Amino acid sequence: MRKYTRLVALLAALAMVLAACGGGEEPAETTQAAETTVATTPDTTEATPDTTEGTTPDTTEGEEPTADVTPIRACQVTDTGGIDDRSFNQTAWKGVQDAIADGYATEDSDYLESTSATDYETNINSWIQEGCDLIITVGFLLGDATAAAAEANPDQYFEILDFAYEEDIPNVVGAVFNTVDAAFLAGYLAAGVSETGVIATYGGIQLPGAVTDFMDGFVYGARYYNQQNGTDVQVLGWNPEEQTGTFTGDFENLDNGRNVSQAFVEEGADVILPVAGPVGEGTAALAAEIGNLWVVGVDADWTQTMPQYADVILTSVLKGLDVAAYTVIKDVAEGNFEGGTRVFTIAEDGVGLGTIASSVDQALVDEVEQLRQQLADGTLNARDMAEN
Amino acid sequence: MTTVDVPAELVRVPAEVKRERILGVVYLILAAIVAFFFAMGSEGDATFRLGEAGQDIDLTFSAAGFSWVVSAIFAFLAVIHLTRGIGRKSNLVLSIALVLFAFAFLAWAAAGSSFSLLGMLRTTVSAATPIAFGALSGVLCERVAVINIGIEGMLLTGAFMSALVGTVTNPWVGLLAATLSGGVLALGLAVLAIRYRVDQIIAGVVINIFALGLTSFLSSQILVENPDRFNRPGVLQAFRIPLLADIPVIGPILFNQNIFVYALWISVALTAYGLFRTRWGLRARAVGEHPKAADTLGVNVYRMRYLNVLLGGLVAGFGGAYFTLGSVGAFNENMTAGRGFIGLAAMIFGRWHPVGALAAALVFGFADSLQVRLGILDVGIPSDFLLMAPYLVTIIVVAGVVGRARPPAADGQPYVKE
Repeated sequence: MRKYTRLVALLAALAMVLAACGGGEEPAETTQAAETTVATTPDTTEATPDTTEGTTPDTTEGEEPTADVTPIRACQVTDTGGIDDRSFNQTAWKGVQDAIADGYATEDSDYLESTSATDYETNINSWIQEGCDLIITVGFLLGDATAAAAEANPDQYFEILDFAYEEDIPNVVGAVFNTVDAAFLAGYLAAGVSETGVIATYGGIQLPGAVTDFMDGFVYGARYYNQQNGTDVQVLGWNPEEQTGTFTGDFENLDNGRNVSQAFVEEGADVILPVAGPVGEGTAALAAEIGNLWVVGVDADWTQTMPQYADVILTSVLKGLDVAAYTVIKDVAEGNFEGGTRVFTIAEDGVGLGTIASSVDQALVDEVEQLRQQLADGTLNARDMAEN
Repeated sequence: MTTVDVPAELVRVPAEVKRERILGVVYLILAAIVAFFFAMGSEGDATFRLGEAGQDIDLTFSAAGFSWVVSAIFAFLAVIHLTRGIGRKSNLVLSIALVLFAFAFLAWAAAGSSFSLLGMLRTTVSAATPIAFGALSGVLCERVAVINIGIEGMLLTGAFMSALVGTVTNPWVGLLAATLSGGVLALGLAVLAIRYRVDQIIAGVVINIFALGLTSFLSSQILVENPDRFNRPGVLQAFRIPLLADIPVIGPILFNQNIFVYALWISVALTAYGLFRTRWGLRARAVGEHPKAADTLGVNVYRMRYLNVLLGGLVAGFGGAYFTLGSVGAFNENMTAGRGFIGLAAMIFGRWHPVGALAAALVFGFADSLQVRLGILDVGIPSDFLLMAPYLVTIIVVAGVVGRARPPAADGQPYVKE
């Protein structure tokens, strides 16, 4: 009996560990990535003043290549989500297609899908043998495989999306995203539409930066709304100063997401931002069932990825993987490749908001657009809302 | 053997004396924690809301005052334990004490503000539901001495099948398919464990790995490719049971839930009645305790085992459908995330009794929703620690409260007919 009890305990512990390690498909970047995000943001914003005049979603598109551009062959390797995942892989591929359309990439640019983790290395190596100019890998899952291939082939250019290395690899661009700003806009919008004066956010696993940046930005946005409008909208589930809040514990158990959201609703929340990968679908399911609850999507535009819940999606906090892929392809084509971590900001549409629900007051939408411009040109800094 | 006429409850064996002492010390520590952290650390009134939105049934009291009372009760219990002991009722007392402790914690967290106790208890029930189904499945199997480690895999398969079949046909057929798929896995376990006498733990683990691999593979190949056609079963929504749901507080918690919760009440009641009040139950328990004796008396041991393991699988498959049809209306890889193992722990904590298993699942569900509320109330405890709470509580309760839980005597042993 005793042995048996121990075994059960062991198995239960193992299950928890596995559940914790499992992770979702895209629980965003790593710790280091996020830290660099924060650290490098001001520089990047200063370094790209020329892009600030752009207000249309795709500033970079439609430009005519200058004379010294050599179109390159860009080759993408997906993670296990597949190319039509309506999320990271698909968005990145859109960037490649945009680059083809604009003459920065050649028509034979292509992708390889990974069906399992063992495919990563194989796929990368087949692109190396085919002589691609730039290999684009998608997501932190490919981090190790990309680093290994990059070190073995120092003359091959790589870009890994939504991931950065602790130590820069000279022939790899680690593209990460300054999600705080986009989440700030979502927080402002959420505070504006809330009728109860309570909004909420929760995470999957507390990955510093990767998950918490979203939550920070959301709270800051709501605080800014309060400051501007003299309101007192509360944000449940996250305290950016203490860095404590509500988490479901994994990126898998959708039922947990639903239960947590139910708890928020009972405490009065009517807008929820789940930063928990697929677990957020639990919130959307609850919203569809009970009504009077908005959901803010993350990473991709949820009105596209979960069209069945489009009615309850207020907006989505986007990472512009297409912009990141496009920009680096352009750099290589112009002979300006520079390895290392690169932060994509709101100024270059590296982050932003997705479709905003049509029922939202146009005046509020305009305010959010103004804020976007202020964040982009640096007159407003989301992290100024921190109460330290 | 001397025959001294002493009432049984006054005979105190050394092990029990030791346990009384340990419990006494535990109560002292709890009293100190409540006094120093909760009572001295909270200011103002805490409000527990007991009504649904719009209803005003509030419980407002001084957080510090409540904690002092709880602390005093613990100190009193400690004294009793250290002097004369409480005896057979000590587990019941400990359970109540742990609930009091949880409320002192909540009062401290909610001091100066309010939170919905009703909501917390309602999520307790919904979080406990899949665990309770898992535990019930375990009870059914282990009462006939077949250890079922494969509950997790059966839940997961149930979740998968209900999503797939539920989308292609309708949710009710999906529910049926989920139930049957659990049964199929259980038959696999039964054949391995009963006919081929494979080590039952290994057979169960194999089932888990098989279920995780198969559902993940099929999910990525079929469900993810075309969610509209294969992964949108919809949700079987909650419905009120007239009259019963109108009872204040208890009504909304127990009788405004979805079909899975009602099915849980019914299956627990049926299993408890069946196991302890019917001929089938007597035979099943006999097979689990002493298969040879049962065989001698003409009970078909193999048939009983096959039947119960199959029933256990059906229950687990049905419970698995909760994750999709009862909650979020979509399947996701490994979405059960270890709930089956917690169910197994709940079964042991519940002493292989259906009602005990349900109570244990509720304890876990309570700890889980307590954890969520504490996060929302912003008590400043790091989330990693909060997330440990349900598991920690389960370990404490299994190790501390349960004491000497006795499994069926033949548990895990294959039976060889001579």
